[in-house]
Amino acid sequence: MVDELCQGALSFHSQMRHDMIHAACSPPPITMTSYFVRRFLLIAPTFIGVTILVFVLTRLVPGGPIERMLQEAAMAGGDFTSATSGFDGHGGSTLSDEQIEELKVYYGFDKPVLVAYVEWLGKVLVLDLGTSTRYNDPVWDTIRDRFPISIFYGVATLILTYGVCIPLGIVKAIRHRTAFDNVSSALVFFGYAIPSYIVGIALLTAFAANLDWFPLGGFVSDNFDSLSAPGKAIDVLWHATLPLLAYMAGAFAVTTMLMKNSLMDNLAADYVRTAIAKGMDFRRAVFGHALRNSLIPIATSFGNIITLFLTGSFLIEKIFNIDGFGLLAFESLVERDYPVVMGALVLSSLLFLIGNILSDICVALVDPRVKFGSGESAQ
Amino acid sequence: MSRAERAGRNPPKGGTPTLPDASAAGVASPAESSWMPMLNPLTIKQLQRFRSIKRGYYSAIILAAALVLSLGAELVVNSRALVVHYQGDLIFPTYGDVIPGRMFGLDYDYETNYRELKRLFRERDEGDWVLMPPVPYDALENDLTPGTYPPDPPSFANSHYLGTDSTGRDVLARLVYGFRLAFGFAAILLACNYVIGITLGCAMGFWGGAFDLLFQRLIEILNNVPFLYVIMIVASIVVQNFWTLLAVMVMFGWTQMTWYMRTSTYKEKSREYVLAARAMGASSPRMVASHILPNTISVIVTFIPFSIAGAITTLTALDYLGFGLPPPTPSWGELLQQGTNHLESPWIVTSVVVAMVLVLLMVTYVGEAIREAFDPKKFTYYE
Repeated sequence: MVDELCQGALSFHSQMRHDMIHAACSPPPITMTSYFVRRFLLIAPTFIGVTILVFVLTRLVPGGPIERMLQEAAMAGGDFTSATSGFDGHGGSTLSDEQIEELKVYYGFDKPVLVAYVEWLGKVLVLDLGTSTRYNDPVWDTIRDRFPISIFYGVATLILTYGVCIPLGIVKAIRHRTAFDNVSSALVFFGYAIPSYIVGIALLTAFAANLDWFPLGGFVSDNFDSLSAPGKAIDVLWHATLPLLAYMAGAFAVTTMLMKNSLMDNLAADYVRTAIAKGMDFRRAVFGHALRNSLIPIATSFGNIITLFLTGSFLIEKIFNIDGFGLLAFESLVERDYPVVMGALVLSSLLFLIGNILSDICVALVDPRVKFGSGESAQ
Repeated sequence: MSRAERAGRNPPKGGTPTLPDASAAGVASPAESSWMPMLNPLTIKQLQRFRSIKRGYYSAIILAAALVLSLGAELVVNSRALVVHYQGDLIFPTYGDVIPGRMFGLDYDYETNYRELKRLFRERDEGDWVLMPPVPYDALENDLTPGTYPPDPPSFANSHYLGTDSTGRDVLARLVYGFRLAFGFAAILLACNYVIGITLGCAMGFWGGAFDLLFQRLIEILNNVPFLYVIMIVASIVVQNFWTLLAVMVMFGWTQMTWYMRTSTYKEKSREYVLAARAMGASSPRMVASHILPNTISVIVTFIPFSIAGAITTLTALDYLGFGLPPPTPSWGELLQQGTNHLESPWIVTSVVVAMVLVLLMVTYVGEAIREAFDPKKFTYYE
């Protein structure tokens, strides 16, 4: 789950990646392929570490699914029994001890933590994420139902971010220290300093609650099914405007400044100076030479695209009441629906780990100077 | 993971190490080896540069003033009176024990309601008086006006300058005490994270080898755990309070500083001056403490404002989701939650959003100014 609670996490990871990229020079180099194979193999221990930590924690929590069921049964049974049996300290526990035992076996709560974990892991390996205790559906189906919404927001945020940030960064670099640069810098700075959930709440208050221009939340209107096709599109966009602005606020600043700074570095580099000295016009020097090299830092985050449909932050989804993946993960935790909690964790951590490696491959592809891996053996 | 670095390139974020010649002078001049590191010419230059960045400098002054003011918040925002003049005596109830109503000739034993007392004295007109703080409410009391349901809109007549929240508590009072708490939390969190991060990061960078590899894996695992999940899980095991929340946040927060310190220690370790120290027979602790650390100090200082901003953001988000400090602790996140649940009472959400934006902007201004002061690298650009 990528959320802005870990603000800085992204830049943190790019820093780690940076260290690896700059790891290059010492002999003897091992091949890139074997480096990436090793990176992929290292996914396994990290993945086990992450899941075991959360798995053990979920076991420690009182009020797991069985307690919750007992409570519900007691509440439901209470209406029937209270008149006849009175209150006898056992509450209205309608389940016998045997039934409780059966439930524990059913959910695997009867075994020691590590045994249960190994069993759980075995099931995950054959792609069985278990059954949601809240919906009684397979976890995978529950998660898959949320994909369309999350993918919509993921793709839209991605397109908007790159579509706005790259041109803006270019213009800011070329027009450095002009009025346009200063004004947009103020905006960028604002987006950098203010977390996106605050932006979301502010937008919601101003434009949905006060001015009534946009809906208060949700993905589509209640009468969505009765709308015509263009009407449906407009309805989705109408609901998506504010959340997308909030998502944008988070990614906007970092990418724009990255673009601007790297283009400015390249514009000051000798090869651009040489090109201009040889009579090339400024426009071609920028777009033909400097820009290509300036896009390299942007590529460092490109592999994380595969986490696209999980990037929905549950803060923003909660604020705007969007039924995406983030909200599902949040609600499953509040409701102690641990199979879904673990399922979401499996998916997000796997995609995140793979995305990081893909990013490194992207970097290696666009920048032939980069050689990974030789430092590892230097340890 | 590998670490040799390409010469001349610096990490994208987080300050370059200080210039080798200047820092060598700062470390090695025995004449000023006294406890006056402030007189180090490099430090003076950095301070001057910081002061010359007006935006950051004034933000720092305003923030410092706000912090000092919030430390004495009991004198500004409080339901207890500052001074009570009663039958010729002056009484200062702000700090100290609860003064029961009977002290002032009232007919109850619980704490005096000074606002009532003030009204009463004025009616009697016997020369007694009460001086209330500018905001005569504290963060926890519910001031319910008969006939209306909270939240009440801002009103100068009632001294609720920013209105009340959904249980009738003064929004301004909760903002002020929430600010103090958030900054206190951020400061302690920062101290813990940095102590762990600097110690461990230096050790990892200096020793390298298996020790380094082990903690690298641990950091990788911790970075992939959805940290909010774990906080929420812990919140359901123990009754969350200030210290448990802090402990969990430290558990996941130490990795970042550790990583930066590891990288910069590793860089510094390969510099000639460390080699020289080693050749002169310096012990490992001495090399780390008196040679490497002073040269990584700019990394540490540069990160402080951003760590503070991050801690405040996270704490507020947790409170907003209901997994932060337990009620009725005054907190910005809790106000945000009330505000979004009562969008028809826009003063709640407006107050807290404006406060949050102002504070975070100022903290970030300070951070940018410090970064610029410590990292004199100016962008060369094509003219």
